[in-house]
Amino acid sequence: MLRMSLPRRVRLLAAATAAGLLALLATGTASAIQPGGITDEARLMNELFWIVTIAGLIVFALVAAALVYAIIRYRRKDDELPPQFHGGGKIEVAMVGVPILIVIGLFTISMITLVQIDDKAEDDALTIDVTGFQFSWQFAYNLNDLGTNTDPNAEGTIAVIGTPANDPILYMPVDEPVEFLLKSNDVIHSFYVVDFLYKLDLIPGRVNSFTVTARETGDFRAQCAELCGTNHALMRFTVRVVERDEFDAWVADEAARQLGEGTLVSSSGTQGD
Amino acid sequence: MATVAVPQLSGYHRPAVLDWITTVDHKKLGILYLYFTLFFFAVGGILALLVRTQLAVADNSFVGNDAYNQIFTMHASAMLFLFIIPVWAGFGNYLVPLQIGAADMAFPRINALSFWMLPPAGILMFAGFIVDGGAADGGWTAYSPLAQQTGVGMDMWIIAVIVLGMSSTIGAANFLVTMFRMRAPGMTMFRMPIFCWTMLVTALLQLLATPVLAAALVMLFIDRNYGGQFFDPNGGGNVVLWQNVFWFYSHPAVYIMILPGMGIVSEILPVFSRKPLFGYKAFVFATIGIGGLGFSVWAHHMFTTGSVLLPFFGFMTFMIGVPTGVKIFNWLGTLWGGSISFPTPMLFAIGFVSMFLIGGINGTYSAAVPVDFALHDTYFVVAHIHYVLFGGSVFAVFGGLYYWFPKIWGRKLNERLGKLHFALMFVGFNVAFFPMHMLGLDGMPRRIAVYADSAGWEALNMLSTGGAFLIAVSMIPFLIAVVMAFMRPKDQPDDPWEANTLEWATTSPPPHYNFDSLPPVRSERPLFDARHGDEAH
Repeated sequence: MLRMSLPRRVRLLAAATAAGLLALLATGTASAIQPGGITDEARLMNELFWIVTIAGLIVFALVAAALVYAIIRYRRKDDELPPQFHGGGKIEVAMVGVPILIVIGLFTISMITLVQIDDKAEDDALTIDVTGFQFSWQFAYNLNDLGTNTDPNAEGTIAVIGTPANDPILYMPVDEPVEFLLKSNDVIHSFYVVDFLYKLDLIPGRVNSFTVTARETGDFRAQCAELCGTNHALMRFTVRVVERDEFDAWVADEAARQLGEGTLVSSSGTQGD
Repeated sequence: MATVAVPQLSGYHRPAVLDWITTVDHKKLGILYLYFTLFFFAVGGILALLVRTQLAVADNSFVGNDAYNQIFTMHASAMLFLFIIPVWAGFGNYLVPLQIGAADMAFPRINALSFWMLPPAGILMFAGFIVDGGAADGGWTAYSPLAQQTGVGMDMWIIAVIVLGMSSTIGAANFLVTMFRMRAPGMTMFRMPIFCWTMLVTALLQLLATPVLAAALVMLFIDRNYGGQFFDPNGGGNVVLWQNVFWFYSHPAVYIMILPGMGIVSEILPVFSRKPLFGYKAFVFATIGIGGLGFSVWAHHMFTTGSVLLPFFGFMTFMIGVPTGVKIFNWLGTLWGGSISFPTPMLFAIGFVSMFLIGGINGTYSAAVPVDFALHDTYFVVAHIHYVLFGGSVFAVFGGLYYWFPKIWGRKLNERLGKLHFALMFVGFNVAFFPMHMLGLDGMPRRIAVYADSAGWEALNMLSTGGAFLIAVSMIPFLIAVVMAFMRPKDQPDDPWEANTLEWATTSPPPHYNFDSLPPVRSERPLFDARHGDEAH
């Protein structure tokens, strides 16, 4: 009896250790790689990512351990026919019940997150018009729709237009909601900022929109995520999240450059407020 | 158990080539399917190596951007439409009549037609490479309006896929009639071998879904060539309509590509565990459940379009994890308490279970809608589909080949080479595709021809490329084993594996019309019953 049970325990331990190590390895690499996200919305999505990951790793560890255990424990030792059980009964209820509980749990949690990130921005949020084209981006800012510090009487639009060889930079202020309006006139593109943990398609014939509030300043890489033709891979851009006064200064500079000196007098004048 | 072939009348002899071209024998057609599909597996594999070579280092210029788009589009098209979907028709053709104790398929001539539609379609699709503008380059998903912009290669691709679809539609009808009408006496539906059940559900999916794809492709063809405006918003059309119709076919098609593989694994595991499949009926209902739910999840490929009812499709996508989870229990329960041996087919079957497990778990990320917003169209999804379709389907294909090779060709593949093949492929597969999870999390989009050095993706991509070449190397022992087998005489007995199902009740290979006599069918394992009588019930 002892001789039987000791190797069995060892086998079980070996299987569990192997599965556990694999799971740990996966967790380690995932946490090293997965960006935590720089927006309020991304942080919610990141939490959901980890819930799914932990649930997945538990399932993986249990099934892998059972599999490894079974193929070690039940390898053929003699020519005897093993007991022929066909299943049925309680275990088949468990076979259906356990997966149902897992997926309903995960579904509920993801819907909660979805509702949280889907809250639409207030009307006074800064709006950036994003147009994707083969093969770069245009980011347009309406001077009377700049969020905080907006001068409702300002007129004109400033735009940043990139080329495949010259990635455009999208400026946005930190710590306030920014709404993106996504448009395309040629083919489908997808607006993908890795550190937003988010992407949304630009679809000819419709306008998609989403809102995020960035919480970190800095440069973040981004690119088109929907195959759009020859130079799809070169359709990159940088998101530059800056403090509000830096953003206002950039707007003033661009307005002066693009629309002529003095256009944005009132807006610049509000900077000191 | 010996079966004697009906002697051929003299004067009825045809030259071998003519015989293969005109045959309506399900076994010969099955073999033709296997040769054809394995050829395109090699073609698709070479294209995959070109893709991996291009991506091995940052800012690479090994192939140009245009060529790259053609290469990955044709890689997917070859692997999906010319390899994995028709390879099941190949296994099904050879095995379904044998497993149900029939002499042939219900409609042998239609069966021949199904096969002979494939070569012209394959040639047409690949002839795109020699026409102006090159082969189709809009991805295998051919999203409009991008698919409106490309050259005539795209039209050739559309026509080829329509022809392939017709082939699988009539093939599906043939399989259904065969299984409904031609089962041996005593073989009720719930005594049918599990591989047949998976072919049955696959055939139903093909019959219901493929015409929808044909409709979409015809609309796309009209849009491209005659100024139709189905998908053009400027003419009142809708861009997203294409995606809805395309995925209405192409998501069920994912199950078309994996269900028969699950069937093969569910044949192999019981034989080498010396136990019945654990929960046969649960497996059948899970298969039907996957087939049914498969029609209600298509828009999970479109979460980022902003025009999808997210809660519904998120929920259904999670739900399809339930019957999939049931199958994992089926397989574990089959191994549990068994007497397990590990010849090559069993290794591939266990490889399938473990890799498909990962492919199931990393699929749940995309069901969690907000997580999918991050991962959609990144390499994470590329990892997922390959864990399902390579770690799953391709491992099942090779498991099936090693398992039924003695039946089909009367010779056994060398065990040592088979094990080497498995080991190399298993390691190569994981080295090639596991790093893609990390690349996807780090934001590498799929379908990009180049990436900047500054992105920091080079090391993992290089690793992945190494794995891809290791997979290619793993084919060498397989090919040597095949050549060695064909140099030997046909020496295999009726039932070299102590298997369960009727195909092992006739000679290896079986004669024309398959059986002289059949053992009684009183369970889903008639050969097991014949060997062990009632002792084991």
